[in-house]
Amino acid sequence: MLLLLTLAGCGGSQNTLNPHSHPAADIANLFWVMMAVSFGGLALITGLLVFAWVRRGRRGFGADPDDPHPGERPSWFVVVGMGVVFPLMVVIALFVVGNGVIISSTQAPAASSTAMTVDAIGHQWYWAFRYPGTKAVTAGELHIPVRTRVNLVATTADVIHSFWVPELNRKVDTIPGRQNRILLYANTPGVFRGQCAEYCGLQHAHMGMLVIVQSKAQFRTWLAKQSAPAAAPTTALARHGEQIFLDGPCASCHAIRGTSARGFVGPDLTHLASRTTLAGLTIPNRADYLARWIVDSQHFKPGNQMPDFNLSQRQVHALVAYLEGLK
Amino acid sequence: MWQSRPGVLGWVMTTDHKRIGLLYFWTTLVLFGAGGAEALIIRTQLIQPNQHVVGPSTYDQLFTMHGITMIFFFIIPMTTGAFGNYLLPLMLGARDMAFPRMNALSFWIFLGSGIFIYTSLFLGIAPNAGWFDYVPLANAKFDPGHAIDFYCLGIIFNGISSSLTAANFIVTILKMRAPGMSFNRMPLFCFAFLAASWGLLFALPSLTADTIFLFLDRNVGTHFFDVAKGGSTLLWQHLFWIFGHPEVYILIVPAFGIATEIIPAFTQRRVVAFPLVAVAELLVVFIGFGVWAHHMFATGMPTVTVVFFAAATAVVVIPSTIQVFAWCMTFVTGNARFKTPLLFIAGFIFMFVAGGLTGIMFLAVPFDQQVTDTYFVIAHFHYIIFGAAVFPIFGGMYFWFPKVTGKLYFELPGQISFWLIFLGTNLLFFPMHIVGLEGMPRRNYTYPSGLGWGPENLAETIGSYITTVGIVVLLANLLVSYFRGLPAGPDPWHGATLEWTIPSPPPEYNFAVIPKVSSAYANWDYADREEDRRKLAEGVMVLEQGHEQPVSSPVDGWWAEIVEMPHDSPWPILLAVAMSIVFVLLLLHLWMGFCFALAGILLVLLGWHGEEPQEREA
Amino acid sequence: MADYIAGGVPERLVPRTTEARNAGEAKVLAGRRRGPSVAFWGMAMIVASEVTLFGTFIGTYYYLRFNTPHWPPVGTPEPRVVVPLVMVGILATTSLPMQLAARAARRGGLWAARLFLLWALVIQCGYLVYEIHDYVDQLRRSVPQDNAYSSIYYTLLGADHAHVAIGILLVVWLLWKLARGLTMYRLNAVQVVAFYWHAVNLLTLVVIGVLLSATL
Ligand code: HEA
Ligand code: HEA
Ligand code: HEC
Ligand code: CUA
Ligand SMILES: [Cu+2]
Repeated sequence: MLLLLTLAGCGGSQNTLNPHSHPAADIANLFWVMMAVSFGGLALITGLLVFAWVRRGRRGFGADPDDPHPGERPSWFVVVGMGVVFPLMVVIALFVVGNGVIISSTQAPAASSTAMTVDAIGHQWYWAFRYPGTKAVTAGELHIPVRTRVNLVATTADVIHSFWVPELNRKVDTIPGRQNRILLYANTPGVFRGQCAEYCGLQHAHMGMLVIVQSKAQFRTWLAKQSAPAAAPTTALARHGEQIFLDGPCASCHAIRGTSARGFVGPDLTHLASRTTLAGLTIPNRADYLARWIVDSQHFKPGNQMPDFNLSQRQVHALVAYLEGLK
Repeated sequence: MWQSRPGVLGWVMTTDHKRIGLLYFWTTLVLFGAGGAEALIIRTQLIQPNQHVVGPSTYDQLFTMHGITMIFFFIIPMTTGAFGNYLLPLMLGARDMAFPRMNALSFWIFLGSGIFIYTSLFLGIAPNAGWFDYVPLANAKFDPGHAIDFYCLGIIFNGISSSLTAANFIVTILKMRAPGMSFNRMPLFCFAFLAASWGLLFALPSLTADTIFLFLDRNVGTHFFDVAKGGSTLLWQHLFWIFGHPEVYILIVPAFGIATEIIPAFTQRRVVAFPLVAVAELLVVFIGFGVWAHHMFATGMPTVTVVFFAAATAVVVIPSTIQVFAWCMTFVTGNARFKTPLLFIAGFIFMFVAGGLTGIMFLAVPFDQQVTDTYFVIAHFHYIIFGAAVFPIFGGMYFWFPKVTGKLYFELPGQISFWLIFLGTNLLFFPMHIVGLEGMPRRNYTYPSGLGWGPENLAETIGSYITTVGIVVLLANLLVSYFRGLPAGPDPWHGATLEWTIPSPPPEYNFAVIPKVSSAYANWDYADREEDRRKLAEGVMVLEQGHEQPVSSPVDGWWAEIVEMPHDSPWPILLAVAMSIVFVLLLLHLWMGFCFALAGILLVLLGWHGEEPQEREA
Repeated sequence: MADYIAGGVPERLVPRTTEARNAGEAKVLAGRRRGPSVAFWGMAMIVASEVTLFGTFIGTYYYLRFNTPHWPPVGTPEPRVVVPLVMVGILATTSLPMQLAARAARRGGLWAARLFLLWALVIQCGYLVYEIHDYVDQLRRSVPQDNAYSSIYYTLLGADHAHVAIGILLVVWLLWKLARGLTMYRLNAVQVVAFYWHAVNLLTLVVIGVLLSATL
């Protein structure tokens, strides 16, 4: 079990110091500068303390050893100079650079000027993505074209979540009743991991997502495929699976476009088989995992909204066959 | 002069600030143990990827209770309740608090609220939406059951206790100073507690209102936080942080106060730039009221708002830097003796600067938005809370141990405990910066391998065990010293303030003769102390008729009045019991019983005020 | 030592509360005291904290208001204007007898203090009874469960009524205490409760003003 879960972490990293876009790079550079200055400040203070330790047991500063305030005057200069003037300068510089320059480079493009808009909708506990203007709906995995300024609109279906893909940009919360926006941009194709960053309940830890950055042509193909309705089942087993899905409990929570399943509690499964992972990056999308997920999702993701089902071995096989065919 | 009642009843009915201080001390120590145990389970769960020590539901309760316990049930009651209660009157030259019975009431309410909220943990239905408890996650829809009701009621209950303490402290500091102690002659410790008390008094109502709204939303069906009906989820966050940010300065300022007592005693030098430091202590709390939204940078507020709060955050840094350099220059220009208490203060300065510098980083808004809700923030505030608010508490335990017990502690184990705690906390919290930058969000009950977070988490967990060993050594040292320590005498450190002029442990009435004060370092004014001894011999300024206490004018410290203080009283604990009943009935929705209990409270209050302490006994 | 004592009076002349056992002695002592009593400072702190609490409620009111297009929302009745204003005006007049009671007590006028308190109490009770009646009446037309507007409306108004009720309990208690003569303790209590009432009245004025601002 431990080993199996371990695999799920693979695919993309989410290191803020490994930026793959200009906003993330700006922030990372800002951090390195701040860190250098901070180490300087910490070294200064530590130096003063060590200095006091070195001259412990000695009193006064050259002047009268009985002076109750040895070195009071020079100390005042230090306190005012280093305690007021110097930090003010540092802080103002940081403020101007950090907030004057970098805020704007990370902000979402105006909706009118943008090449592309994507909606990210936080659910307990997975991300759903919609591509306005098309019918495409996915979950857990977001595809965007490379070197395109994407206007990402983050909303929530229930509680507050936070959309965060560290290697591409800073995060933004999803607040009920609000539409928060952020810029999503990637310099290179690749897979970048993201995760819900605002505590949202039991499975907050398993609310991951992948941003898959593709060349513009690949992306267009992918989007066209996702916009299409689900493929009809081809084998008998799969047809049986579809039957179970539509007649059973599944359809009350899940939607499969092109069938009568219109539920909206769980992720849209229209092109489930085109995903690499399931349930917010918790498990890989493989037949064996899928089968276990259907009967025992609570095992992988305790507390998640999908109940365990009492299905026979055959029924599960049929369901898996059907879902595996949803390319 | 008066004596305390012996036996258990003496403690239950006590109005003596020293006994109340000790009651607070033991209670908060136990609660610290509970909060620490929760932290250790958290750390053990996170020791490596995909662990199963506890499940998500338990984990959520653990970190929520850890945060609540450490903030509301450990640091605040430990600094104000224990240190403030015990030491403030001693430093002011007073014989008691301004309102001794109210002081006892604060303690018993605090105890009641602690038992109240911990009941939920033992029932397995502890608050589980984080210590800042954001809605809508905390609404009845997403969190049915009693968990969040425990949170709301427990916080309100606890807040009453803290508000009473704060009011009591402010009046004590303004009115109960020894004659002659004008503001410029007041020890810095007292400035710190004045600042913290003002902060509490004005910050808590915001939290109280917030939790009242949430309780109503959950139990009555109002719509304060319900977006569909015109409410707002950000309202909760604003009100919480309007309290929450001043709160963090309330946590730190008493630590500043402790530091400014330990430093002069062990450098034998008055604190550099006294007026600046005093003003900075007050200013840090004052400005702290204007920066709350820096906890909400990622909520998508308009850029102007965000930038405004970032600028305010930049300003609040200045009073802190003033103090840091004043302390350091006192170290440098004085004659430092690095005994255990001073070691803790040196460690405190180091940790405070480290944590403060990451705090400054957050005012670069894009950076904050990148690392908020990750372990980088956890690292920031544990450096500044554990390192800067708790280290001085440990230092203060050592420092005032001889005063409270009359015994000296053992120096070598003391220094060992410091180094264990210092190295342990750095091993515990430093890697959190790295793992936060590597993208690990907070409040995750587990994490996948393959993201490179394993080694850091392992180091953190080992660090937490080392820290625990250090704390145990510290407590063991003090415990053994209590039985085996050498007698300390009234003034083992040649301390600066009035508590060192009286015997250890101090008598019930603190000061046999009302002391003369002509500077903020009264114990170093040898002529004044000589005069006190002469007056005691002559019987001048002794005020021995009952429970008498001089009252001073608020600013100049002129002697304005002599008042009679209340004696031991059963009413505070009775009132606290009645209030506990009220809160339990509210929790259980027993509205009729609730009304009866309210009437009971009125009866207790009537009994309380039946005694008029200021009448002379016949 | 003399320079430490208010006005340079000698130590034995510093007022000592234990010396006041009846109205006459209390009066003398109160005359010698400079500045408000410790009890007064305590009450000032409680009032400061309550004012902040009400401030938060009022802040919430406006925060919600500026997030809502129609205030009060369509379908929710607007608050009535004239009657509440008249009522709060009447309540505000009780500050006068309360202050007079405090002054009388300070001068040792036990009977005068009782009468002034009684005067105030009658008006205060009348106000509260009417307001409770009105509150219940309003609940027939809208309830706090309607929307965020009515939630904050009833909470704010209810909190203010509770505040008035506490003040009334204090006045009743004072009268009961004064029935058995005047001591230093009771004198302090009269002054403190008078101060509390000023705060109650001021807050009621502000609260009613805020609630009525919805009709603007
Ligand atoms: C004791 C408690 C305490 C204290 C004193 C502070 C002090 C500061 N804090 Fe911290 N903070 C917390 C406790 C505290 N904090 C907690 C608990 C949280 C998280 C709550 C939660 O989310 O659960 C938090 C979170 C927090 C945030 C939100 C982060 C986020 O969630 O995104 C921010 C943002 O601005 C912040 C900033 C600051 C700043 C600027 C200071 C400043 O006051 C620091 C000033 C000190 C110094 C600057 C040190 C002195 C330095 C020198 C002398 C060197 C020279 C200096 C220069 C060159 C500038 N803090
Ligand atoms: C005062 C504040 C304070 C203190 C001192 C601490 C101390 C510690 N904290 Fe905590 N912490 C918070 C305040 C504090 N914390 C807050 C506010 C949060 C946020 C919660 C939230 O997100 O909602 C948090 C969150 C937090 C997390 C993040 C959890 C998460 O997001 O998933 C972690 C993880 O490692 C952690 C660890 C620790 C550890 C190991 C200690 C250790 O230093 C503890 C060491 C102490 C002991 C081990 C106790 C020893 C005592 C005794 C032995 C006494 C026994 C005596 C008797 C019984 C008489 N803390
Ligand atoms: C009560 C509602 C509910 C029912 C009924 C339900 N599901 Fe789900 N399902 C969910 C939710 C919610 C999730 C998302 C869980 C998560 O990641 O937290 C989910 C996730 C899934 C996933 C993973 C999807 C992804 O993209 O990660 C699959 C596959 C799935 N369900 C299949 C099924 C099948 C097959 C059935 C019927 C046997 C079924 N579900 C019945 C609610 C439901
Ligand atoms: Cu969604 Cu955390
Ligand atoms: Cu803050």
